[in-house]
Amino acid sequence: MRVDPELTLKAPRGALNALGGSRSVRQDELMPTPYERPPAPGPSLDERRAARPVLSRPAEGRVVAGVCAGLAQHLGWPVSVVRVVLALLSVPTGAGVVVYLFLWALAPQSQGGVVAGRRGRAAMDPGLGAPAPALPDMPEEERRSARVLLVGGLLLAGGLVVVAQNAGFNLRLGVLVPLLVVATGAILAWSQLDDAQRGRWLGSQEGARRFSVARLVLGAVLAVAGLVILATRGRSLAAIWDIGLATLAVLAGAVLIAAPWGLRVWTELRREQAEAARATERADIAAHLHDSVLQTLALIQRKAEDPTAVAQLARAQERELRSWLYAGPAGSDATLAAAVAEVSHDVEDLHGIPIDLVATGDRPLDERGQALVRALRESLLNAVRHGRPPVSVYLEVGPAGVEAFVRDHGPGFEMEEIPADRLGVRQSVLGRMQRHGGTARIRRLEDGTEVALSLPAAAPETQPTAAEEHHEHA
Amino acid sequence: MSTPEPVAVVLVDDHRMFRSGVKAELGDTVRIVGEAPDVDTAVAVIREQRPPVVLLDVHLPGGNGNGGVDVIHGCRGLETPTGQPVRFLALSVSDSAEDVIAVIRAGARGYVTKTINATDLTTAVRRVADGDAVFSPRLAGFVLDAFGAAAGEIAEVDEELDRLSAREREVMRLIARGYQYKEVAKELFISVKTVETHVSSVLRKLQLSSRHELTAWAMGRRLL
Repeated sequence: MRVDPELTLKAPRGALNALGGSRSVRQDELMPTPYERPPAPGPSLDERRAARPVLSRPAEGRVVAGVCAGLAQHLGWPVSVVRVVLALLSVPTGAGVVVYLFLWALAPQSQGGVVAGRRGRAAMDPGLGAPAPALPDMPEEERRSARVLLVGGLLLAGGLVVVAQNAGFNLRLGVLVPLLVVATGAILAWSQLDDAQRGRWLGSQEGARRFSVARLVLGAVLAVAGLVILATRGRSLAAIWDIGLATLAVLAGAVLIAAPWGLRVWTELRREQAEAARATERADIAAHLHDSVLQTLALIQRKAEDPTAVAQLARAQERELRSWLYAGPAGSDATLAAAVAEVSHDVEDLHGIPIDLVATGDRPLDERGQALVRALRESLLNAVRHGRPPVSVYLEVGPAGVEAFVRDHGPGFEMEEIPADRLGVRQSVLGRMQRHGGTARIRRLEDGTEVALSLPAAAPETQPTAAEEHHEHA
Repeated sequence: MSTPEPVAVVLVDDHRMFRSGVKAELGDTVRIVGEAPDVDTAVAVIREQRPPVVLLDVHLPGGNGNGGVDVIHGCRGLETPTGQPVRFLALSVSDSAEDVIAVIRAGARGYVTKTINATDLTTAVRRVADGDAVFSPRLAGFVLDAFGAAAGEIAEVDEELDRLSAREREVMRLIARGYQYKEVAKELFISVKTVETHVSSVLRKLQLSSRHELTAWAMGRRLL
């Protein structure tokens, strides 16, 4: 779980959020994932949910549309039992088929992460005893053979029908065949619904879309052809032509009358949707401004006599608003530049001294990078405590390594002047960088001090450094 | 610096409070000869006053909707009474690369953020008036990134437009580290004038280069 629930629950939704906590709050608000909530006081709710998962059609482990798999999960039965029962129900009257189509139309599709947690819990529940876990991991070959079996069964049924017809039973093939054609066409077209849903998850591709359009057209043609055959049974070609013409004329008239009306309803609907989206967005922005900017402004008014506090508040708020407006894609937190930015904001908040950060290049944050970030933090703390603003940080990530500079405008200090017991600079900056194969250099400039940290790209022996790092924390 | 006389400046910003703040801060080292809250007024005022320096907000109402860029385009070829071109110093709250790149490529001589203090702003105005370029640490960082200098790409000849020379890279790195021009000069054992030459040459590359990263980078990502 990415968002620490305790943190977000404890953090007051006030101006303090502006000083760092509000980002996680916002994420929590945006993604209210009920399945990720911390275990509530009574675990019974959890258990009940696990015992009876919501009926859905999993995209994984399905043979046709996932109805049987979903039903098996929902009831806690073995999936094979469900399949056999439905198949048996289908033979005499077709009730199984009707049930299948009904559930197909009504049960929502589920996929991957959406059901993973749910299913995992159901599978682990010993009370159920059903071999539910076997179902999602059905291998591809097995699924294919199941499909072959299904097609074989259908062909067999068709053959039986023909045999029965020849043997003298009147099965009224004239009705049955068109009905089957219509059903096939409808299934072909309806199965698009599932694909459209999945396409939204996966991001559809051009080729896939063309294929699905072809399927839709084929399904529609089949269904229409079946209906036409059904409606014009036993009539001559000329009669069919007349009927077709009449139908077309009626259809054209209906379209002519309904079109403007339908168009208006459609645009109305679109407008309403857009308005609703805008209203949500506005509410979102208003909520954010209320939680951050307004609270900070109130705090600033209260602290008007303390310029340092006001500047600090304004700076923190500016940064927070900026990151909200120009936030990069999620998941970029684990990079070196992001970590450096976080650390410098941290120090800025702690001491109320603005820090100018410039970073070029970036790379994933590894253990050595973390050491650099810690050393940088220590240097920054030194700069804001003993130096004078402006304090600036420059981070350069290149192929040859990482370089970071912390610069302040204070009176400066020399290495020799630091007492031996002052562990801060010696241990946390110089020592740490050396242990990780890097260097740290402290320079006194005419106006201020500069700490230069550098870390070559190639990692030296990493084993001992890791051990030492642990030691350091102890 | 070189001229004791105050520099005449036109201040273009759509926030009245910010304009009066800047006016109060700059005091008598810089003479504000005109103000404008939007693109069209700005072009009119600048054409009338013909100041050596225009302090230009990046985001402005009016014009073609491109803010400061429209003002620069509207004043193209304009000269001060002494025959110097009218120069622009961009001033913005925005750190987004699109804004930086657009206004610099339109012809601004520098880019500073609105959090700059009065002394630095005065120095920047004088520097722009003298025809030099003004780079904030952030703009220097952007240049290093956009020209691939941080990744180790270095021009073989100084005239190459798509890369920085080794010396230009050094200067940019020091500016990004928060060094003033004179500190850069001292660090590299060169004169301040040479530093200014290097910065101006980088500015020229930034304006003329067709390096695709420059635009792609600006579109795809925003400055920190």
